[in-house]
Amino acid sequence: MQKPLDRRSFLKSSLAAGTALALPLPAFAAEDTLNVALIVPSPAADVGWSHTLLAGAKALEEFGPGVKITLLENIAEGPDADRIMNKTVADGNTFIILGSFGYMNGGLKLAKAHPEIAVLHASGYQVAPNFSPFGARYYQGTYLMGMAAAALSKTKKLGCVGAFAIPELITSINAWTLGAQAVDPSIDVSVVWVNSWFDPASEQEAAKALLAQGVDVIFSNAQDTPSVITVAEEAGAYVFNLNSSMKAYAPKKYLGVVGTDWSPYFKANARAHLDGTFAGAAAWLSMADKVVYVADLNPDIPADVAARMAEVQAATLAGTLSPFTGPISGQDGTEKVAAGVTLGDDMILSMDWHVQGVTTPLPK
Amino acid sequence: MRLALIRRDTAARGAMIAAPAVALVLTILCSLVLFAVLGKPAGTALYALLLEPFLSWYSFSEVLLKMAPLCLIAQGLAIGFRANVFNIGAEGQLVIGAIAASALPVWYPDGTSALMLPAMLLLGGLGGMAWGAIAAGFRTRFNANEILVTLMLALIAAQVLNYLLLGPWKDPAGFNFPQSVLFPDAALLPILLPGTRVNVSLLLALAASGLAWVVMRHRFSGYQLLVGGMAPRAAAYAGFSERRAIWISLLVGGLAAGLAGAAEVAGPLGQLQRSVSTGYGYSAIIVAYLGGLNPLGIVLSSFLVSALFIGGDNAMVSAGLPVAAVWVFQSLLLVFYLGGLAFLRYRLVVMHRPAQSVP
Repeated sequence: MQKPLDRRSFLKSSLAAGTALALPLPAFAAEDTLNVALIVPSPAADVGWSHTLLAGAKALEEFGPGVKITLLENIAEGPDADRIMNKTVADGNTFIILGSFGYMNGGLKLAKAHPEIAVLHASGYQVAPNFSPFGARYYQGTYLMGMAAAALSKTKKLGCVGAFAIPELITSINAWTLGAQAVDPSIDVSVVWVNSWFDPASEQEAAKALLAQGVDVIFSNAQDTPSVITVAEEAGAYVFNLNSSMKAYAPKKYLGVVGTDWSPYFKANARAHLDGTFAGAAAWLSMADKVVYVADLNPDIPADVAARMAEVQAATLAGTLSPFTGPISGQDGTEKVAAGVTLGDDMILSMDWHVQGVTTPLPK
Repeated sequence: MRLALIRRDTAARGAMIAAPAVALVLTILCSLVLFAVLGKPAGTALYALLLEPFLSWYSFSEVLLKMAPLCLIAQGLAIGFRANVFNIGAEGQLVIGAIAASALPVWYPDGTSALMLPAMLLLGGLGGMAWGAIAAGFRTRFNANEILVTLMLALIAAQVLNYLLLGPWKDPAGFNFPQSVLFPDAALLPILLPGTRVNVSLLLALAASGLAWVVMRHRFSGYQLLVGGMAPRAAAYAGFSERRAIWISLLVGGLAAGLAGAAEVAGPLGQLQRSVSTGYGYSAIIVAYLGGLNPLGIVLSSFLVSALFIGGDNAMVSAGLPVAAVWVFQSLLLVFYLGGLAFLRYRLVVMHRPAQSVP
């Protein structure tokens, strides 16, 4: 698919870039002018993925009144998204945040056509000089939640409602399972894939199916609404989710949130873009980057497990602990990671297998 | 006193021009209130919504790009709608068309044959027709309502697409993301206007429009189709068949939607992915009725609806309108226009209560 260059906007932007270069730079840092466009696939509601991206982008307003943020929500991946990206650049936005994997090919072409802009792209793998993919190491947090889940589960059955069987989500489930096994090796984990990023009805059905199997702790993996949370609360099962806290929807049984705060990453990159030092690179952000965090933990978690969780968190922050340190077996019992070996990022980023203890086979 | 709508003998000529104008003015007035409440710049928003799609070459070319599938599908649907065969599930026929067309580049990702593209369009058209044929078969054999069957088949088509993208047709190098490989150049439609994304599917849509016009205006078969669907018993006396009207309507509707689906994957998408259509199959229903089910009217209405979509997206970018406000604006315009059309055909009469005879 060859996307033609938008001639007008290209001329306009190259003219703008030319003018900017021709102007003498001010001797002192004047107020920063930065036009930011954030494009997300779902409505930026009160909770969820798009909400956290917007919150991260809004943190850029700390740079001063010259920062303007344009939110484009509910943009379907495909030709419409490509056009809207083009329009944001034609309108003078130079710092573009793309909030979905499906924007990758269009975003990459945009970045190549407009060298003066900087593009941050969520959860992709392509890199260009002005195009950086970013993601969060959710697994660091889900490992901690696994410990909490194992301590609170009576049936020793955990369940996960997953959006798509992509490595990012598989990794979170595996780390969750390993964390649970660290507290209780007899733990079982079942997974239901709903194959949608946004389908509250199916998500609720999936949660009910898990509860019917005797699951008493649920992981709402990448749902943008409290669909799974409310079902679990009503059934009296503990539940946690990713990105932003949904405690308000499960005041009693909320296990906690593996949250993401994108503001440190966005601010650092916006600063680099303003200073002209932006360099495209893949960023897989961690607890140590202050992007991934765990919060709103349930007070029911026993004190001894809470103390162990605090130790693990400290070790994760220090970089001395990874959930993916062997020995780790795959679902069929074969050795996947040898004792003492820690999986490298490339192996974790492309993970297409479940650890032993996850009982549901992975869709192929 | 009560109000009644009385059918006009002849549509007022002045009103035909006034209807869209009044609709536009009413929409703008309502939107001004909406934008004021939202605290958004009304001038920028209205400019982006109504004028920018026609004033910037890039936006205008995108209007033409989006117009092609809308026009093609609406032409196909209108043939059925005129015969009172309501194919509501063109979306499903589009998806199956896109899938059928994608089979070739998915199986031959390095294909260079010049026959690839024509074969894809053929497969796409046949796929859409096959999906329409299921509904036609159910209707003629079991008298199952085609509105429900086509709509349900659209849901099934979406699941077929999901299955393929999550399973056998998934890009092996795509990290399990639900999408196919990128198509080779031989599987992509040639660009019509250099420097834009407008491809030859626009010509396809215009050719289909011309064909639809000729058939409806000058061919006896068009008349037979109309009567067969609208007055089956009268048609039966005249020797025209209702079954034939149903089959032709759903096959032609499916063919057009399937072709549009093939043109989307071979056009701006360049691969098979989950969002293969952003509701073209459903929007085309509005396009068909806005165009008065007339082939020439549909060319105009598909252009205007496409401009309205592009304007809506632009307004989100330029004026910071939330997507819901864009939908409200677009819906207001449609509702006011369709309301205005009603007054073209009917006049509002105040009926005074007849003097009652009190015993």
